[in-house]
Amino acid sequence: MIEVKNLSKNYGDRAAINALNFTVKKGEVVGFLGPNGAGKSTTMKIITGYMAPSSGEVQVAGFDVFENPLEVKRRIGYLPETPPVYHDMFVRDYLTFVANLKGVDKSRVKTLVASALEKTTLNDVAGRLIGNLSKGFKQRVGLAQALVSDPEILVLDEPTVGLDPKQVSEMRDLIRQLRGQHTIILSTHILPEVQASCDKVIIINRGAIVAEDSLENLSKRMSGGGRSIHVRVRRNQDAVVRAIAGVTGVRKVTNAGNSIEIEADAQEETVEQVAALIVNQGAGLVELKVQSLALEDIFIKLTSPGGAA
Amino acid sequence: MRGTLTLAGKDLRNLLTNPLFYVIAALANVVWSFNYMRGLLQFAQRSLAMSQPGMEAGLSLQREVFLAHISYVHLLFVFLIPALTMRLLAEEKRLRTYDLLLTSPVTATQIALGKFLGGLGAVSVLILISFIYPLATRAVGAYPFVPLLAAYLGLLLVSAVYVAVGLFASALTESIMLSVIMALIFNLMLWFVSQGLGEQAGTAGAVMEYIGLGQHFTGFIMGSIKLNSLVYLCSVIGFFVFLTQRVVESSRWR
Ligand SMILES: Nc1ncnc2c1ncn2[C@@H]1O[C@H](COP(=O)(O)OP(=O)(O)OP(=O)(O)O)[C@@H](O)[C@H]1O
Ligand SMILES: [Mg+2]
Repeated sequence: MIEVKNLSKNYGDRAAINALNFTVKKGEVVGFLGPNGAGKSTTMKIITGYMAPSSGEVQVAGFDVFENPLEVKRRIGYLPETPPVYHDMFVRDYLTFVANLKGVDKSRVKTLVASALEKTTLNDVAGRLIGNLSKGFKQRVGLAQALVSDPEILVLDEPTVGLDPKQVSEMRDLIRQLRGQHTIILSTHILPEVQASCDKVIIINRGAIVAEDSLENLSKRMSGGGRSIHVRVRRNQDAVVRAIAGVTGVRKVTNAGNSIEIEADAQEETVEQVAALIVNQGAGLVELKVQSLALEDIFIKLTSPGGAA
Repeated sequence: MRGTLTLAGKDLRNLLTNPLFYVIAALANVVWSFNYMRGLLQFAQRSLAMSQPGMEAGLSLQREVFLAHISYVHLLFVFLIPALTMRLLAEEKRLRTYDLLLTSPVTATQIALGKFLGGLGAVSVLILISFIYPLATRAVGAYPFVPLLAAYLGLLLVSAVYVAVGLFASALTESIMLSVIMALIFNLMLWFVSQGLGEQAGTAGAVMEYIGLGQHFTGFIMGSIKLNSLVYLCSVIGFFVFLTQRVVESSRWR
């Protein structure tokens, strides 16, 4: 459905993204994950035809974005970082305007507007001025705008930003409901978002893809049998840290103030030795938690300098 | 086509529902009605003094009253149209709704044309309001209608030039202030290019006079439609809409 080949974009002589390659299949929900400034928005702006890349190509549903921009734009619903809403328009009028602008069949405009209002539960505010709505509601109007032409592809740039926790979970539910009807790319820098709604995750850092896989594969591959151990002691924390660093199988120890974070291999002996050591030191063990490496750790590992897939 | 009309309709509605439009219309009408009444009364006095019905010989309504009225309408438009067109594209950029336009299946040409037509629509409403004055005068006495229509055609075309100029200025910036100031400067330049230099003899003077709006507009309000003036005004409009299209298109290449 979407094919991105060798896509690069420079702002002046500053590279925002560098030779990206990935594909999104029909019906997939893909999470575009990366820290601030990674190049997520830039990539999305190029896919939607908002701006031209410096080099490389993008094909959407078989059409090249730069040779056939109108065909591509007809098929994409796009929610940019800032919802593109007119403050002096009423919600329903605005959605009708967008539907017409997207060139949907005249006979379908009314039903599509009604269904976009329904899906985003905006019916109550359909007759209100957009300028008077709260930020979260504006965001929802932005999403309704992306949905209103019933596009094959949805490109959502940080759809949950600025929403309260209840609305965030509603938005995630909504995205889950949309699965199957649309091919979706959504960007975020929060992991739970990807875990909540995506089939596949593309992790991008400093303009390059550092990982592209399904969620399970990624967890499996990245943890590489590794474990993280979380420890809390009452006394002698510094001494304990120094001692643990010497245990075979321990890769890294961090003194995190009121706790100690340990990265270790998958051997149970390692955990046993760490525990024994703490007890022998008489440090007063109060907490010890063993976890296989979580997605969060993977993300931080991949996107911190020096980290690699 | 549909994209163009959708955009035009949205902008027209936006302009007409904006309080600014009513402020402008009200202000304009205060000036117009005052001057129109004064012109008409003076005309009546003078016709009476010459003790002959004005429409038959000597004095003509067109020359004595309408000309002054249309000049006032025009004079205000030089300043008011930039205030109407300033938001057309600048505000879209400022509020990021421009993203929606650029990612919708419409071409840069459709965007430029739609915006132009929307702006022209709003200005046409003002022109129609100003047309009520001479029209109401028909209730008092008959006068030749065709020259008046020619004058109004001229007014419409010159207004369209200002809309196109204002739209272009609006395409150049995110700032509404800058947009309105640039439009004003462009408008005044179109007028003053023929002043000063137009006095000079020779080809340079003739070219400058042709480029300036003044000569062409004067022809229209005197009641005659000249082909070269029609061509000239339409090309200026086309030129600025084209420039706008180029600016919109170029925004993809940042
Ligand atoms: N218009 C611009 N001019 C110059 N540099 C830009 C521009 N837009 C983005 N950049 C730079 O390009 C890089 C990628 O930006 P982009 O907006 O794509 O990041 P992002 O992944 O969306 O980040 P965020 O999570 O903060 O939204 C950043 O370093 C940013 O500073
Ligand atoms: Mg972004």
